[in-house]
Amino acid sequence: MSALSGTAKRAAARLLSSLPALLGVLVFTFLLMRVLPGDPAVFFASGPNAGKEEIEEIRRQMGLDKPIPEQLVRYLADIGKGNLGRSLTTGQPVLSDLRQRLPASLELTLSALLLALLAAIPLGIVAALRPGSLVDHAVRFFCSLGVCVPTFVSGLLLIYVFYYLLGIAPDPTGRVDVFTTLPPVVTGFLLVDFALAGDWEGWTAAARQLVLPAFTMALFVVAPLARITRASMLATLGSDFIRTARALGLPRLQIIVAYALRNALLPVLTIAGIVFSTMLGANVLVEKVFSWPGVASYALDALLASDYAPVQGFVLLMASIFVIVNLTVDILYGIADPRVSVA
Amino acid sequence: MTSQTFRSILATASLCAMMAATPALAQTRAETLRHVTGAAVNTLDPTMPGSTREAFGLSLSTYDRLVSMGRKQLNGKWVFDLDTIRGELAERYEVSPDGKTITFHLRKDAKFHDGTPVTTEDVKWSLDRAVTAKSLAAAQMLTGSITNADQFKIIDAHTLQVTLPSPDKLALPNLATVYPIIINSKLAKSHATAEDPWAQTWLKDNTAGSGAYTIETYKPGEQIILRRNEAWNRGPGGAQAGFKRLITQTVPEAATRANLVERGDADIVIDLQANDAAALEAKGKLKVISTPQYNAITFISFNNQMPPFDNVNVRRAIAYALPYDDMFKAALFGRGAPLYNGDWKDGPSAGTFPIPQPVKTDLAVAKKFLADAGMPNGFSTTFSFNVGQAGTAEPMSALLKESLAKIGITVDIQKLPDAQMSTLINEKKLPFFTEGVVAWLPSMDYFYRNFYIGNIRWNYSSLNNAQLTEMAQAARFEPDAKKYADYGLKLNALHFELMPQIPIWQPSQDAVMQTSVEGYTYQFHRQIDFRDLSRK
Amino acid sequence: MTATLRHAVWVLRGNKVTAAAFAGAFLLCVIAALAPWIVPYDPIASNVVKALQPPSSQHWAGTDQLGRDVFSRLVMAARLDLAIAASAVTLSFAAGAVIGSICGYAGGRLDAAVGRFVDVLMAFPLFVLAMAMVAALGNRIENIVIATAIINLPFYIRFALAEVNVRRNAGWVEAARACGDSHISVILRFLLPNILPAMAVQISLNLGWAIINAAGLSFIGLGVKPPTPEWGIMVAEGARFISTGKWWLVAFPGLALMSAVLCFNLLGDGLRDILDPRMRT
Repeated sequence: MSALSGTAKRAAARLLSSLPALLGVLVFTFLLMRVLPGDPAVFFASGPNAGKEEIEEIRRQMGLDKPIPEQLVRYLADIGKGNLGRSLTTGQPVLSDLRQRLPASLELTLSALLLALLAAIPLGIVAALRPGSLVDHAVRFFCSLGVCVPTFVSGLLLIYVFYYLLGIAPDPTGRVDVFTTLPPVVTGFLLVDFALAGDWEGWTAAARQLVLPAFTMALFVVAPLARITRASMLATLGSDFIRTARALGLPRLQIIVAYALRNALLPVLTIAGIVFSTMLGANVLVEKVFSWPGVASYALDALLASDYAPVQGFVLLMASIFVIVNLTVDILYGIADPRVSVA
Repeated sequence: MTSQTFRSILATASLCAMMAATPALAQTRAETLRHVTGAAVNTLDPTMPGSTREAFGLSLSTYDRLVSMGRKQLNGKWVFDLDTIRGELAERYEVSPDGKTITFHLRKDAKFHDGTPVTTEDVKWSLDRAVTAKSLAAAQMLTGSITNADQFKIIDAHTLQVTLPSPDKLALPNLATVYPIIINSKLAKSHATAEDPWAQTWLKDNTAGSGAYTIETYKPGEQIILRRNEAWNRGPGGAQAGFKRLITQTVPEAATRANLVERGDADIVIDLQANDAAALEAKGKLKVISTPQYNAITFISFNNQMPPFDNVNVRRAIAYALPYDDMFKAALFGRGAPLYNGDWKDGPSAGTFPIPQPVKTDLAVAKKFLADAGMPNGFSTTFSFNVGQAGTAEPMSALLKESLAKIGITVDIQKLPDAQMSTLINEKKLPFFTEGVVAWLPSMDYFYRNFYIGNIRWNYSSLNNAQLTEMAQAARFEPDAKKYADYGLKLNALHFELMPQIPIWQPSQDAVMQTSVEGYTYQFHRQIDFRDLSRK
Repeated sequence: MTATLRHAVWVLRGNKVTAAAFAGAFLLCVIAALAPWIVPYDPIASNVVKALQPPSSQHWAGTDQLGRDVFSRLVMAARLDLAIAASAVTLSFAAGAVIGSICGYAGGRLDAAVGRFVDVLMAFPLFVLAMAMVAALGNRIENIVIATAIINLPFYIRFALAEVNVRRNAGWVEAARACGDSHISVILRFLLPNILPAMAVQISLNLGWAIINAAGLSFIGLGVKPPTPEWGIMVAEGARFISTGKWWLVAFPGLALMSAVLCFNLLGDGLRDILDPRMRT
């Protein structure tokens, strides 16, 4: 019980201590966006006859006519009120855009992570069981191969082969075939919503749509996950309690799965947390290639248009998720291994 | 059998539940047009500052205007025609003999989507909004001498008069552009506020029109699904729109768009890369309608106020040093209309704009001009283009750099994100760059007035020439066709003499569609007018 | 030193993959160094008549949209890509090691402040940060290097911080201080050399990552400018020709990029084994 309350206290403290970092992220992004030489007002005053007046009007609407410190104060005040501004690229409030697009990104990233873990953990274990063997090297080689191909290349190639040539994959145009009726929105995760609605046909359609992009992303993260699994398995396999278990003559499979793996998974969990938050921010190119309506491609479009609000909102969202994921990993860690909270 | 239905059948094999649904699905698929594009609709009100071209395209289908442009054949392809204006919400119109009054008679059967009849009150409110509200519309309407709400007068419930200060050829065509949409004024007013009397906030996300389609779903940045308005009869000869359902989806990767249309999953796409369009055309399985964008021009531009480009001989030197043919072949895959290699005998070949310029690659001439400019050893400069155009501009700039190096000009290439490029152009900070222009109403004087006069973004060359300004303004109100053409000849000659920028070509709009899709017309806003289309 | 070398030879002999990676990386560096002398054609000279030709005995890797020889461009690009990756990684390595060790050594408030700053950087979606920086500073090669260096920086700072923190109060450091060494000299002469080997592993891994990163920037149009040959931009341009069957435009640059990154990654793994024998019990 005291371990739990200790964990809670630690969590609260960490949450508090991450607030300055979040504020720092906010201010830094704000300033970075103002340094961009592009003037969003000019870009968006794109009408064939847009003149000085139209440009000034957009500047006024966006509050760009005010001095930068004042803009910053206004921006922070707005954020305090839960208003992230309005995107010129989509014409919608940034908050509602993000709310709509975040589940798409999360669903994709989670599926990719799951896929990667499913591949990486067995590979890591196999490699750790015979360190230095041919199997070990083969695993290392194939995992490294995945990291070597830029995601946009592997994505485009997968589309070319599985959609264009073979016709097995559905058209790479987002989360679900346009002709599928969408389920009522409950969580925003299509797989969950389709399941809740009992629409298995729709579920299959959404799942098929997920396969290629999730696979593309997974390729890129199998290597670090397999590497950490291997290292941590090696460490536990060499520890005293395993030696004891072996000496006791317990079945090999039982030793590996029940004792070694359970203990080795903790570091994997930590790395998986980090990988998850990195993936979420880094899947810009995968989202672009697969027309996935996620938050990262949203931020990219906004960035090229010098559309400040969506980029700022996106970075804030990513930073918050980063904090939350780290915190979750920490708490899980604390629960799994009470020694951590004492340290 | 399209591969779409083929794939549905494949899916059926594994999913027995779908068995019964397949014929129905195939049926609706035939009545649905699926359009994919790289950009996205960002507002339902096309007059909002920041509207994308896709938003313009959509508004033609969701709203009606008083009139619309007809179409004509140009080299065997259907293109919009500025000179035949037919009624849309107006059943007919009359222009007074002095050309200063246009009287519109509204259709009596026209209704908004919510069933309210369209009256002159709605028309008046909508036109007032176009010239009064802070939006993109006012600046456009100005080019047709429509500037003030007092110009619109209600005669009765179905008759409205528009008066002009002086006869203007572009007044009627302006009313057919995407801005003067006719809005359901009662509905809109109910969403207006004291700060927002023209309901601009509400209309951004909602439509209140009488157009051929209503909006079924709108996911900004992703897709829009439209459903046909069955009561709509404003097509040519009282026709309905062809498709029951329209889907416009955003697919950012151009190569993927090509795959989609080739595999039959998309019905039409107009923004492919030139090489994809060429490849699809060569395969011959799809209909490829390639129309030179006759109202658009791609320029190599200089800032005429900035040394060394303030020297006309430097500009001429570059005009003769550009590797036109190579650029046209490598960057555009020959898909467009060249504006070089013109054949001029004692002056311009025509009084229209643009016409092919009498320049071609000739390094000896280029060197001579450079020497005349006092820079026989050349100079260094930067050449900029925007990321959005990289597909064509990147090969083009590499060739340009190579060719200019031969006459001693060292070029540093700068690739700028679109927003930065437009900012720098607006601030007149780029010395040397490539950009395009498009004129919705492509008359000769419109080009000269909008792209060569004043300290505005669109005056890329920052030209400030009193003679040109005076002639262009005079041409605008010249009723006599012969005299107008004379102005055109003089302006074209002056343009060549000043060489403020170099028109290089008019790129083609490559519309690639399934062979079953018919009626495609190249439109002034370079988008598809979905109402033109039907399936055979 | 000789012990390390002997250990290295022993590891390499037992580990064919690492040996191959070493050889590959060495070959890459040689190619990059000799590039101007081994290319058969001028990598930026266009010849539109010969555009988009498939591989042949004349053009081993075909020609691109402007008729430039793809093979020559690939070879020249090795130079630039390695230079970008190496300078970016060196920059972040140097800055990270110095900042990290000074702060780790000083401890207290400075340590905490820098820790915060690193948190800020870590919390950023890094690729988007790189994009924003290149967009803000302009897409010149220096800026691509700086952006790549900055997004790598937090890892190095953290690493150095942690390593120095552990050693700060070690006996030999105390001893050095007692002998009258200044703080600077303690850091430079004792702490830095001690943490460098561990950080070197990170370098090799990051080299590969820096190349991938530059390629990604090219794909969204924020990479090096034309007509400079660079693998990333060649792959990005080539990818757009996949569906029209011009496979050589993406296949060869893709392979070049892939093998370079693979070499560096495997090399990093191998280095870890050599420098830290405990890791592979």
